[in-house]
Amino acid sequence: MRVGVEVGGTFTDLVAVEGGRVVVTKVPSTPRSPDIGAFAALAASGIDLARIEDLGHGSTVATNAVLERKGAAVAFVATAGFRDLLFMQRHDRRNIYDLFYAKPAPPVRRKDCFEVSERLRADGSVEMPLDEAKVRAELVPALQAGGYRAVAICLLNAYADPTHEKRLAALIVEALPGVLVTCSHQVAREFREFERASTTLLSAYVQPVIDGYLHRFENKLADAGFKGRFTVMQSNGGRLPAEAMRESAITALYSGPAAGVVGATRQAARSGFKDLITFDMGGTSTDVCLVQDGRPSLASESEIDGLPIRTPVLDIVSVGAGGGSIAWVDDGGMLRVGPQSAGADPGPACYGRGGAEPTITDAHVMTGTIRPAAFLGGRMTLDAEAARKVFGPVAERFSLGVEQAAAAALQLADANIVRAIQLVSTERGRDPRDYALVPFGGAGPLHAARIAEELGIATIVVPPNAGVISAYGLVASDYTKFDAVTRKMKLDETAAREASKSFADMRARLATQFADMKLPGELLYTHTLDMRFVGQAFEVGVEIPADRLASLDAAYLAELFADAHHRTFMHGATLDRPVEIVTLRVGATLPIGMAPKLDRETVAAHESERTRIFHGEAWVDCARYTAEALTSGQQIVGPAVIEGHTATTWVPAGWTAILDAADNLILRRAS
Amino acid sequence: MSVVLTPLDYAVISQALIAGAREMGVKLIRSAYSTILREARDGSAGLMDRFGNTVAQAELIPMQLGPIGETLRACLKRHPVETLQEGDFLINNDPFEGGQHIPDVFIFTPIFVEGRVVGFGASVAHHLDLGGGAPGLNIHASDVYQEGLRFPPSKYNFPRDWNGGSFERLVTANVRVPDLTIGDFNAQFAANAIGVLRVKQLCERYGVDKVETAMKAMQDYSERRVRAAIAQAPKGTFYGEDAIDDDGLSDDPLPIRAKVTIADDSVEIDFEGTCAQIKRNLNCPYSSTLSAALSCVKSVLTSPDIPYNEGMARPIRIKVPYGSLLNPRPPAPVRARMIPAYRVFNAVMKALAQALPDKVIATGFDSTTALCLSHLGEKGYSVYLEIFGGGYGGSKNADGCDAVDSPLSNCSNAPVESLDIDYDFFRIVGYELAPDSFGLGARRGGAGFLRRCEILRDDVQLAIYSDRFRLAPEGLFGGEPGQRGYCRIYRADGTTQELRSKAAIDLAKGDVVEMFVGGGAGFGRIAQRPDALIERDLADGLLTRDPRPARKLAAE
Repeated sequence: MRVGVEVGGTFTDLVAVEGGRVVVTKVPSTPRSPDIGAFAALAASGIDLARIEDLGHGSTVATNAVLERKGAAVAFVATAGFRDLLFMQRHDRRNIYDLFYAKPAPPVRRKDCFEVSERLRADGSVEMPLDEAKVRAELVPALQAGGYRAVAICLLNAYADPTHEKRLAALIVEALPGVLVTCSHQVAREFREFERASTTLLSAYVQPVIDGYLHRFENKLADAGFKGRFTVMQSNGGRLPAEAMRESAITALYSGPAAGVVGATRQAARSGFKDLITFDMGGTSTDVCLVQDGRPSLASESEIDGLPIRTPVLDIVSVGAGGGSIAWVDDGGMLRVGPQSAGADPGPACYGRGGAEPTITDAHVMTGTIRPAAFLGGRMTLDAEAARKVFGPVAERFSLGVEQAAAAALQLADANIVRAIQLVSTERGRDPRDYALVPFGGAGPLHAARIAEELGIATIVVPPNAGVISAYGLVASDYTKFDAVTRKMKLDETAAREASKSFADMRARLATQFADMKLPGELLYTHTLDMRFVGQAFEVGVEIPADRLASLDAAYLAELFADAHHRTFMHGATLDRPVEIVTLRVGATLPIGMAPKLDRETVAAHESERTRIFHGEAWVDCARYTAEALTSGQQIVGPAVIEGHTATTWVPAGWTAILDAADNLILRRAS
Repeated sequence: MSVVLTPLDYAVISQALIAGAREMGVKLIRSAYSTILREARDGSAGLMDRFGNTVAQAELIPMQLGPIGETLRACLKRHPVETLQEGDFLINNDPFEGGQHIPDVFIFTPIFVEGRVVGFGASVAHHLDLGGGAPGLNIHASDVYQEGLRFPPSKYNFPRDWNGGSFERLVTANVRVPDLTIGDFNAQFAANAIGVLRVKQLCERYGVDKVETAMKAMQDYSERRVRAAIAQAPKGTFYGEDAIDDDGLSDDPLPIRAKVTIADDSVEIDFEGTCAQIKRNLNCPYSSTLSAALSCVKSVLTSPDIPYNEGMARPIRIKVPYGSLLNPRPPAPVRARMIPAYRVFNAVMKALAQALPDKVIATGFDSTTALCLSHLGEKGYSVYLEIFGGGYGGSKNADGCDAVDSPLSNCSNAPVESLDIDYDFFRIVGYELAPDSFGLGARRGGAGFLRRCEILRDDVQLAIYSDRFRLAPEGLFGGEPGQRGYCRIYRADGTTQELRSKAAIDLAKGDVVEMFVGGGAGFGRIAQRPDALIERDLADGLLTRDPRPARKLAAE
């Protein structure tokens, strides 16, 4: 049996798959200790832990450790002259007119930052050797006195040669057994010292927390008779065995959204859709990701709480548009939605828990797309009058009817999501019309059709059980690890040969790591070259097709690069400028084989009912179906509402919906 | 043209225009070549309406963004919008016709929809070298001709004049690092092309009328919000003054005076009493003066989320005497115009402090320090130019920001590892916060910092302009002043040499340059500073002496 347990902020979701049987369980989370929610979900599902072969887990432990500053006492060590790297940052401001601006605060104090005498040159050669005597005499006693649990090391140019970092780490480990040491070359072998130092520090900061958490979790599992493989989700969309995660703690940040993308990707693939734009609309935000040929896009840069991270993560863009997002009028008289959210408590006004601001969920109640009596399959009753009341002031302000004001709020939320989708598509040189939209999360399928219309997208794939896609992603995801090396070379035949050779070395290194993790099997590799025109500072990642690896030549690489550059920047295809390779990246994936099937719940078929929905400017009469009562191949012509236990789908006029053999609901726009 | 916009249309189109401008900015920086543009991000972008008004902008460099409208309108005066054709672009860097200083080149690309111009994609970049009397920075220039290639407001045609065309060849022939400079121009053209495309797509989706109406409505919106903020401010006339250290030749300070009158829903700023223009490059073109004053008023009066566009400027009137330091007659040299611009910012801030003490900050180091190193090797010139800020001033509720670019600018540092890759004639050997560099107070100023640079070859030239080497930033409401800056050379032979704030000098292998920019001034009396904050700075080594014993002594 395969089980995925995803601990979110509000709910813990569990998906168990065995043969043709799927068990879906939802229990409240215990925010202080995610493992309590996880074990509560396991208990509620009634599963015998001894029968689980594969347990995938995702949690917000790492993310919360950073956001709430609950990580380990950590020291930072840098090259002499640069102990303030983490405070200097990039010398810029995110908000240029804010007089009271404060920089993002790294989770370390200046008093906990130290220096060692050494210096490498850009090519990794030694300008000044590491002063080991001084390390023993000064740094080690200071670290001992500080009582640190973790040490982060980032030396200048160490991406080019890790010898000094390795030696320094060895000296510290020798003198301070039990302290976890993280070196910059281990987490991000790329140039730009502040970004690498930030990644290293965050990794060191969360590592003891992840370590302790996973240890506790494993003990509890063992006590309950679990004998299978325990794996943890990463932000890059792949899993790692728990023991390997301890050395790769930074990749546990934001694993939840990544699991959702993988779940949606796998489920859409069952219906043959591989070029996708996924969007996960939850309570406070919407996460958007572009998937090309079945593989979610990766970003080499991301951040948490304003602090940069340089490990590959799924390229997910988040906007403050969710069911709880608040509609408001700013002091210039403009209608806005989000990013403030009513959250889960008090939640939208219609929850009847004291929410006094109009939210997106209230707007759905006003326009009829959410039926108060049938919310979450009838598990919760909503107060429609409360929703009407909170939209009153907004309506009055613009001399609109209450329903019109609610409809305007919904369309503004749609516009926010459309912009997020443009960010991952048009701004990256991709045309959204070439993709299918895959909505999930509680509110996604309600908004999908209108968003698709805005972007010119003709196909929507609504997965079954859209509310637990992240947990499904945990059991459907592969094992993944990435390696990257910065090696600046002007693009010529020698460099092309060097790239081939470096790729081979990196593959060998990754293969060893998988063997060490006791993960046997044929690995699949992706190869990316980050290239730029000589003189530029930012690289464009170019993926090298597997069948060309054996015969890389400079002309071919230059052509690949020029195309990619032109796609993003709208110039460069015809520039006769020299090109250079900066960073080489290899991703290794051990596929888990066929993803388990995510079935939908079913109830006896019954007739549709009539209802009315406020769409655009007026009420329209339409049919209301129960999602669980649909039969395979059944076709529904819009306008219609398909009400489900975890999510409701809106099919406007001009769209048809059909339930396919993979249990996905496919919406198509009449051309 | 004017159509009725629903609140929804307005919200959606305006946000899309802002997103378009932001995308232009990102792509300008990311496809650039010179360290000053790609690492320091000394460039900006925006979308304009057909009348030359700023509609939306990428928030990059406040100084460049403020008067883009002035710069474009100077072009439109000579080349009216009706005379433009597909493929044309407008260019301007003329300090005396709407531009700022020579290195900041503004390029405007008209957006044609159905044969008619609906607006412009605009971008500006600080170019590393545009010729002139010295590589990167000629601090000795006594007129604008010595500061580099001047493009008066002009019109060229992209397919005809660029990409091997005459205009490109003219530029190439007159600059020292043409690969980088032409590359950065290309990044500007590309950014504009993206803005043009996004506006065209919006017009297709919503119709030209709605888009143009939204452009106007956005300006009205910002205007309304600024007027609303002014209406709530205390009325009256307030005075503020600050001064530049000297002109680089004599030791006399150059005073800048602002008289700020807050009326019912407008503000007037008069710079009468400011010193006359000078012979060195510290003159501030009118556009720059305007930009500095507007940035200050916007920062103080309005919340940061109000989009900056032409409407912002409407309630604010600026009077600057012609022939003064802040509105010089040609051909005055203007390269270091950021220095007087900062004193404009400081003088206006000090005036506003009397009316709105909770909304202002104390004076920061607030200077642009431009440090330029260059070397002529066998393969031609190698030029490094970096911009340094300092510490922000403290405010009622917060300490000033440490080690950050000053309020009118927003340049990033160049990563040390990136400089190690790109330059072989120097190396950064230290980059640290400077303890005790800020003024204490109930809230302290932000810390200043040091950057140390070792010279690796003979025959390296250094040029610098900075300020506050002599006059420290003043505190507010009893706060103490921040420290003054310096630039010191530790010669290979063991001697040291202090530079003036505006200087040029030759360096040799083994010399070390230590650039120190000071911290901001404090806000309120030190007696009111919470113990926990003092102890924190002591533990972190940002304060080296406990100020409390002296404070007690003074009280007794």
